[in-house]
Amino acid sequence: MSIDTQLPDETVHVASAISDEVVIELASVNKWYGEFHVLKDINLAVNKGERIVICGPSGSGKSTMIRCINRLEEHQAGDIIVNGTEMGTNIKNIDAIRRDVGMVFQQFNLFPHLSVLENCTLAPIWVKNMPKAEAEKIAMEYLERVKIPEQAGKYPGQLSGGQQQRVAIARSLCMSPTIMLFDEPTSALDPEMISEVLDVMVGLAETGMTMLVVTHEMGFAKRVADRVIFMDQGEIVEQNTPDEFFTNPKSDRTKLFLSQILAH
Amino acid sequence: MTDATQSDTAFRPKPSLPPPANTVGVVGWMRKNLFGGPVDTVLTLLGVYLLYVILDFVVDYGIVNAIWTADSYRECLDINKGEGACWAGIGVWFNSMMYGRYPDEEQWRINFGGIVLLLWLIPFWLPKVSGKIQVGISAVLTFPFLAASLFIGGDIGIFLHAMTAIALTLFVSVWLNVATCYLMGKSLPAVLISVTGFADKDDRLHKYVLLGAFGVGFVLALLYHLSWDLVEVPTTIWGGLFLTLVISGIGISSALPSGILLALGRRSKMPVIRVFCTAFIELFRSVPLITILFMAVTMMPLFLPVEFNPPKLAMVIVAVCIFAAAYMAETVRGGLQAVNKGQYEAAQAMGLNFWKMMALIVMPQALKLMIPNIVGSFMGLMKDTTLVSIIGLYDILLMGKAAGQNPTWLGFHTEPLLFTATIFFVLCFAMSKYSQHLERTIGGGYGRR
Repeated sequence: MSIDTQLPDETVHVASAISDEVVIELASVNKWYGEFHVLKDINLAVNKGERIVICGPSGSGKSTMIRCINRLEEHQAGDIIVNGTEMGTNIKNIDAIRRDVGMVFQQFNLFPHLSVLENCTLAPIWVKNMPKAEAEKIAMEYLERVKIPEQAGKYPGQLSGGQQQRVAIARSLCMSPTIMLFDEPTSALDPEMISEVLDVMVGLAETGMTMLVVTHEMGFAKRVADRVIFMDQGEIVEQNTPDEFFTNPKSDRTKLFLSQILAH
Repeated sequence: MTDATQSDTAFRPKPSLPPPANTVGVVGWMRKNLFGGPVDTVLTLLGVYLLYVILDFVVDYGIVNAIWTADSYRECLDINKGEGACWAGIGVWFNSMMYGRYPDEEQWRINFGGIVLLLWLIPFWLPKVSGKIQVGISAVLTFPFLAASLFIGGDIGIFLHAMTAIALTLFVSVWLNVATCYLMGKSLPAVLISVTGFADKDDRLHKYVLLGAFGVGFVLALLYHLSWDLVEVPTTIWGGLFLTLVISGIGISSALPSGILLALGRRSKMPVIRVFCTAFIELFRSVPLITILFMAVTMMPLFLPVEFNPPKLAMVIVAVCIFAAAYMAETVRGGLQAVNKGQYEAAQAMGLNFWKMMALIVMPQALKLMIPNIVGSFMGLMKDTTLVSIIGLYDILLMGKAAGQNPTWLGFHTEPLLFTATIFFVLCFAMSKYSQHLERTIGGGYGRR
């Protein structure tokens, strides 16, 4: 068994499919946890089909930023507009945005009391009022796409971490979102399982999905990202194409960060 | 390993071997648990001796020296000098301890009500039946009305007639549903819709069909029920185990739903609701049940208009419900806090609203975690209902005590207490065992976790 045939070819960049349409806009977004200023004047526009990788040291606000996009966190100042809908306190707007935005978590957050298939059909049935049979058909299609249709009847606790995370991706896709948020999707996985999840994400990128990915997988960033964003202390320090970002970082902070994570 | 595999770089795991013989099986278990060392051996022998002494006494008192037929307590004492139980008295007082002073010729009503409730709940355990949640909700919401009109009787008024008719209709439909599920493999609503030939029409029409069918059933049930002619049995002469089960049954079935609402209210972001729920919970949790009972029975009537004079039992039941709800609310809150925050976030990120998130994601997990505590509360509540004897309701405990004050049975105290204790033990132990069974089976046990 040779090792190198198992790994995806990291040298070929996935073709990008960016359109001019802006689907996410963050304008002067500020957020505090009590006295602590976590997001400082964030400005970001994401185009349809764009794949963005967000990296930075822990506590830099990268997770908080993407969690503001589907209002798992509330921002106190600035505007967030998703697919033309303004994020505010209006519950209808929040629900509309959440239906359109899928999210994958570091800890998977599958529902342990439901089978894999039920995890995938729950939201289509209860949020979109889809008939059960149709929801199950769609769920099986996505489970096949993440290559675990045979696990549909099992409970999450019976699956490995990598399998759980792939179910979580399928579960989000079942709502046919136009935007996918990934919050450190591989950080809680054993090294042997990271590649199976990244493969699924690369496959998703190939379909032209708009993706915002918080990750430390720099190989993934090089291969998939259209733009890499580096955050520190609640600010966007630098953003650039992956080529420029890795070979020619501008800020000293970025250089230090890259030297630390690429050193070993 | 070295010589055979050196030429071969493939990894070969070593074979698994069986454990040493004296660590498994009966011998292994005894060595580990009973005779692990000198101290263990002495303790084991001491335990065996204690067990012998206790069993010896129990058998002597309860069986060998016991009297099974006698007409008075004096007769028992003359025969065994008080060295054995006088079970004859339990036979004499059995009816009172079960039904209180409920008239003999009307006691079939209680039995009938109990059988209806059991039958209503049986579909819950039948694997092929669909709509189990509806079965449970219909029983909890409407059976009390059926029971009230059956147990009280007399002129029950049009509201109770109507509610009883609804209960009867639902009861019959529950069993029709069982029949269709087992004979035709379809639920009752599906069969009704296909029989009327509207199967391919839209959902709205289906609702009208089902409502119409329910209406027909309701009218038939109402006509049938209006023909009932039951003598009134006032609640003041209810008693015995029957009364205990009425109070604790209503308390238990109302505690969980109201406890869930109070717990959600206490965690709410809306200040008015949160403050109200917190105050309610803290107030009733910090006051002894007996105080609440006294207040309900003696003080409340002073504040109510004279013509509105609810029966004592109704006041007691309301008091027990409030007390149980306050306790359950804190149990539920503990369960809610044990559910991982990620579960809430995943549900929100999928667009589920608050109630759907609670009902589909959070509550099922929290309730599973809470089963031991919930059943503990239920058992506590059931035993607490004996406090109503202090305010003069003849529950099973007070009825047993009354036996020893009867002239023919003067001094007959121990046996009724033992009997009462046995009944409580059987009921509570059954609940405990059932809860353990639920813990294992709910949600397929979640698989490995």
